[in-house]
Amino acid sequence: MSEFVFATLEYASGDWESAPALPENLIDTVAKHTSIDIAPVGVNVKLGFPEVFNYPFVWMTGHLPVRFTDAERRNLKRYVERGGFIMIDDHNHDITGEFHKTAHEEIERTFGRMTRLKNDHELYSCFFVFENGPPNTNHELNGWGDNLLHRYLDAVLVNGRIGLLYSSKDYSSEWNFHAETKRTMQDDPTKFGVNLIVYALTR
Amino acid sequence: MRSLAERARAGGEWTLRAAVIALLAWSLVIALRGEDNGGTEQATSSGLRAMLARWSTVVTPAKVHVTLDHPPSAQERDWLGALSAARTAVEWSGPSLLPIAVAFEPRADPARGADVSVAAPAGTGVVLRDTIGVLDSATAQAAGLRAYIPKPRRTVDAVAGPVVARAAPRDSLVLGRLLVIGRAGWETKFVTAALEERGWEVDAHVIVSPKSDVRQGRIDAIDTARYSAVLALDTTAARYGEQIARYVRSGGGLVLWAPAARTRALAPLAPGGVGLIMEDEGRPPSDSAPREVLEVVPITPLAPDAIALEHRGVEPTLAARRVGPGRVIQTGYLNSWRWRMAGGDDAPDLHRDWIAGLVARVAYTGRVALPSPPTDPAPLAALIAKLGPRANAAMGSTGYDPAMIAWWVFAILCSALMIEWASRRVRGVK
Repeated sequence: MSEFVFATLEYASGDWESAPALPENLIDTVAKHTSIDIAPVGVNVKLGFPEVFNYPFVWMTGHLPVRFTDAERRNLKRYVERGGFIMIDDHNHDITGEFHKTAHEEIERTFGRMTRLKNDHELYSCFFVFENGPPNTNHELNGWGDNLLHRYLDAVLVNGRIGLLYSSKDYSSEWNFHAETKRTMQDDPTKFGVNLIVYALTR
Repeated sequence: MRSLAERARAGGEWTLRAAVIALLAWSLVIALRGEDNGGTEQATSSGLRAMLARWSTVVTPAKVHVTLDHPPSAQERDWLGALSAARTAVEWSGPSLLPIAVAFEPRADPARGADVSVAAPAGTGVVLRDTIGVLDSATAQAAGLRAYIPKPRRTVDAVAGPVVARAAPRDSLVLGRLLVIGRAGWETKFVTAALEERGWEVDAHVIVSPKSDVRQGRIDAIDTARYSAVLALDTTAARYGEQIARYVRSGGGLVLWAPAARTRALAPLAPGGVGLIMEDEGRPPSDSAPREVLEVVPITPLAPDAIALEHRGVEPTLAARRVGPGRVIQTGYLNSWRWRMAGGDDAPDLHRDWIAGLVARVAYTGRVALPSPPTDPAPLAALIAKLGPRANAAMGSTGYDPAMIAWWVFAILCSALMIEWASRRVRGVK
């Protein structure tokens, strides 16, 4: 329990497992750049079950509509209020898509309206420095999805800390590549993932 | 010439007359002494104040006996002490008066609570109350009882039967900052969060990689002028080892987690060694015994001058010791964050209280004296200090009641006069 375990969030509706290679790539980057004691493989945890509270960082993604059960909604609220960090990423990269609309409904129903994070927030400088805020993805730059460049991330803040972070940038596609591909990349696109984890572990 | 019998009877009559005269003389002397400075005067709790006034203005008794059903007020106690110093023997009794005492110690905690300790005979029911009303009640154990008062008011009373012991805060604590040193991890994060939520100002040095760290606050000198306590979570604290040792030896407080206690730099300060880990099986912490399921490293062997504060089975899991004027507490729980995340409804509050309690046990604090209201923290002890121990017999050490003696004297006098008069009438002498 002392080590950091990357956890992918399972929820009753939708396709929660749509980015299966993402954990491996992110774990690799964290292990390469930090001395964080990180488990070599990730786990899947069900939002509706108590086990989710053993993993204070979870990654949630999908393409399909999100409808939480009562237990999931209750756990989500408790999880964030107690200091957990949940990253929700729209795998469609489409603000008119079903995931975005339904996930937003669920978040607002549970926490109210999210706060737009400024691009000088410490999330963007706690390890690697991202001067312009959240790094863009190839999917945004290529005009896929909603054909927009999303310049900000939204968040639910608890006592000034980010408890829930919502992204329309589709990091789930950007970081869901075959592990061998990373060797041929000029720049590691998953570096922002290190910031997410360092922030979650230190704030 | 009178017969032998008549002479004997006349002798008896003279003897009775002499006895009557002697008793009358004795009674006169007693009466005069009672008006002046002789005799034992009595008083009870309800009439004590009036009797004190009498003993100070009307008569000067050689001895007074006070039967108490509740302790006298501080003023009455002092008055009795003054009488005692003015050569009036003062004795007291009061079998219902229990020896209790109360102490009030503000906790080194931004929540500004206080610990109240009550000494009372085992099995005594004690009620704690403040100026608003009753706070709590409990039965004293062999070591008395302790209670935490979140919002202490001007005074705190411990009430046991008719005895009320009263304490008040004497000083206010001046808290410094805390310094948390650890690797980026959940324990570091949640310990820091809990302390900040509690109201502590926390500096933190969190190690993320060999080349990168996260610093919160300005961390330069580690001394008691800036820090109330240092929390060393793991081996990364060893880089501050010398500074921390100097800080503790100058009165600072240190909370050590097992991995930090293992380092060469900090081990000499630790209350104990580091045993074999007891793994966490992932069960949710219960509200009743939340730490029972957490991963723990027993503190073994315990240093000779350390005391174990908590056990799992026979193994110490929390221990403390003094290092010079400084205090060190070592916790064997590696992942207390699981309690906060996975525990019951009150888990975040209870975890916060627990972490704050660890810090409060060791924290260095400055003190500012407060104007203190009148207190009486140990009424019976104060009474004994003033008047000596309570009298064994209910009526005092002399063991007789002057009122009863007066009745006996009156009866003897009447009897003697009657017999003497009857004897003379029988003889035909007027």
